[in-house]
Amino acid sequence: MVERALLLCLLLIGFWGVVAKKNIIKKIFGLNILNAAAVMLFILEGNRIGSEAPILESGLAQVVDPIPQALMLTAIVIGVCVTALALALAVHLYQITGSFDIETIRERIQDET
Amino acid sequence: MRPEDIVFATVMLPLLGAALAFCAKLLPKGRVASVVEYTGALVGLGLPPLVLILLFPVVFSGQSVSGVVGQWFVGIGITFRFDALAWLVNILGFTIGTAAWVYSLGAGPKGPAFTGVFLIQTAALCATIMTTDLFNLFVCLEIMGITSYVLIPTSRKAGATLASFSYLMVSASAMVFFLLGTYGFYRLTGALSYEGISNGLQAISSSDTVLSIVSLALLVSAIAIRVAVMPLYGWLPDAHALAPHAVSAVLSGVLIKTPLFALSRILFLFPAGMQVGELMGIAGGVTAVLGVVIALSQEDAKRLLAYHSISQIGYVVAAWGMAISIGVDSPAGTSLMVAAFLHAFYHALFKGLLFLSIGTTVDVAKERNVYILRDSIGKLRAAGERIPVTFMCFVIGALAISATPPLNGFVSKTAITYAMKGSLHYYLLSAAAVGTVASFIKLSRIYWPTGKRGRLHPELGILPGSSANPQTKAYGLVARLTAQSVLAVLCIAGGLAAPHILTIIGTLMSRGGTNIAVPPILYSTDNLLKTGVTTLGGILLFFVATSKIGSRVLHTIRTRPRSFQGLFVSFSLGTAVLAAFLVVGKI
Repeated sequence: MVERALLLCLLLIGFWGVVAKKNIIKKIFGLNILNAAAVMLFILEGNRIGSEAPILESGLAQVVDPIPQALMLTAIVIGVCVTALALALAVHLYQITGSFDIETIRERIQDET
Repeated sequence: MRPEDIVFATVMLPLLGAALAFCAKLLPKGRVASVVEYTGALVGLGLPPLVLILLFPVVFSGQSVSGVVGQWFVGIGITFRFDALAWLVNILGFTIGTAAWVYSLGAGPKGPAFTGVFLIQTAALCATIMTTDLFNLFVCLEIMGITSYVLIPTSRKAGATLASFSYLMVSASAMVFFLLGTYGFYRLTGALSYEGISNGLQAISSSDTVLSIVSLALLVSAIAIRVAVMPLYGWLPDAHALAPHAVSAVLSGVLIKTPLFALSRILFLFPAGMQVGELMGIAGGVTAVLGVVIALSQEDAKRLLAYHSISQIGYVVAAWGMAISIGVDSPAGTSLMVAAFLHAFYHALFKGLLFLSIGTTVDVAKERNVYILRDSIGKLRAAGERIPVTFMCFVIGALAISATPPLNGFVSKTAITYAMKGSLHYYLLSAAAVGTVASFIKLSRIYWPTGKRGRLHPELGILPGSSANPQTKAYGLVARLTAQSVLAVLCIAGGLAAPHILTIIGTLMSRGGTNIAVPPILYSTDNLLKTGVTTLGGILLFFVATSKIGSRVLHTIRTRPRSFQGLFVSFSLGTAVLAAFLVVGKI
């Protein structure tokens, strides 16, 4: 139960980072924290029926549920792609406007057009 | 050839095409690279329609091809289902995708990288509509999302990068919540396929019902962001308005509808699906009205079209939600579903057409403000377009979206309102129709002549490939005009051949013809009268909107505050309302 409560905290911290932080790099941090919370929740779920790594060797019982782990490998890869793309966009925004602050960026872009 | 062997071609061929396009990027620029790139596009966009033709007899007879990817065991592998719904959405995707890609040859963004990403997007939407596995749906939606975040800023406008970034942040965060919804269902049922989850949900205890409802609410609102239903529409206007024209056409024609139809697969099976349909239907009706009100207030030509996409998707969602809430297996539900798909398809055609023709116009005029730009026909002629094809295309598109007979928009809007007569949605959509007419009168002003004949426009852009600009290659203008004309012809044909198309879609949607949908009577006096009244109302509304008070109100709507945080607030509120609605419905 403690683990779940901690993960909920992590989730909320990530969401708060995405929503409330003005700096777009910190927003991307927030997105990663959010993602990590979901990943760990799945891993925790797989842990309910066993604790051994699901690499089948003889003499192993009580392996974890491998499906959440397989899913999360995919989710992590997607998370990395999204992060890379978000950083690329952030760099581009910085090159155009000279700022990482979302409000400043919005104002400067509006002034341009 | 067994159908099982070829259904995956709709996903694999675009991916193969994308691989070829990226190979072309590695080659030095020149003839060979172009040949490889165009071969890739041909493989990715030209061959899948042939596969779809081969599959037509299968889906038309009410069968579907389903199974597990890669012959894994049921329960472990990813399940898929290729049925009439998938077939129809594929047709939609490839029609608009091909037209948009051809247009991009003339208008940009050009190059193998663009073609490659574009083809991956096409593959992703084919996969999205075929999958019946929750986690696979997550992956497909993410691929669709990532490709659009890449394609939107290719217009090299500063605002497009910001729009893409906002879209990425809100959509990627929503997808984490989608993942949490998936977690909820996996925890409850131990399954990921829709069928497995729905079977598992029948056996859960009542204390777990709340978890299943919250999970469903998370899934639905993450998808609703992609569909851009009110109040989750905030990312769309900037993204669609500032993307390259060809990308705008695909985004608003195909990409906002595919997740909606993919969601219907979940809602058909899950216990609380009907209530979700009910709430989404009401949200759709409201979206149709609010979207058109904001559209009427816009001054940027493409942003006006973007708000119309929101309004028109509201029509689709209203019919779709109502169909699900009364059950798609009943005749009334089937006719609503047919109407919803028909409008989704026809909207893709005429909105694609509008985006492309307005795109050509604003490229030439170098001015996007509806209040400033005038005499675009003259400007297009000066830029090298001898016959006013672009203007004619715009007129066809505008008449179609305003539901003028016999164009396709009339057919699909009549089919929707016919099926929902007397309900709240009916009145909402009728009001939206009046606003649509008014805002397209407003938009058509950019073509009105100014009265100064024979004025030269030295400051204007010149279309590459036109006779006025002999240095550039000739295919540029041809590509643009071909794409526009094909869509225009399809708009007219879709209206004229409506009875046949309605029968075909009706048979497809009723899965083998056990309960054929009632085809609506299109050209009754009632319907024609309603069209007349709507048009008059639209003209009246246009004059009200251009009056002093009207323009002040519209100015207030246009300059309403919009912020990054607003996207997330509306997402959280939307999810909470949906969850509350479902919980109350259960108790």
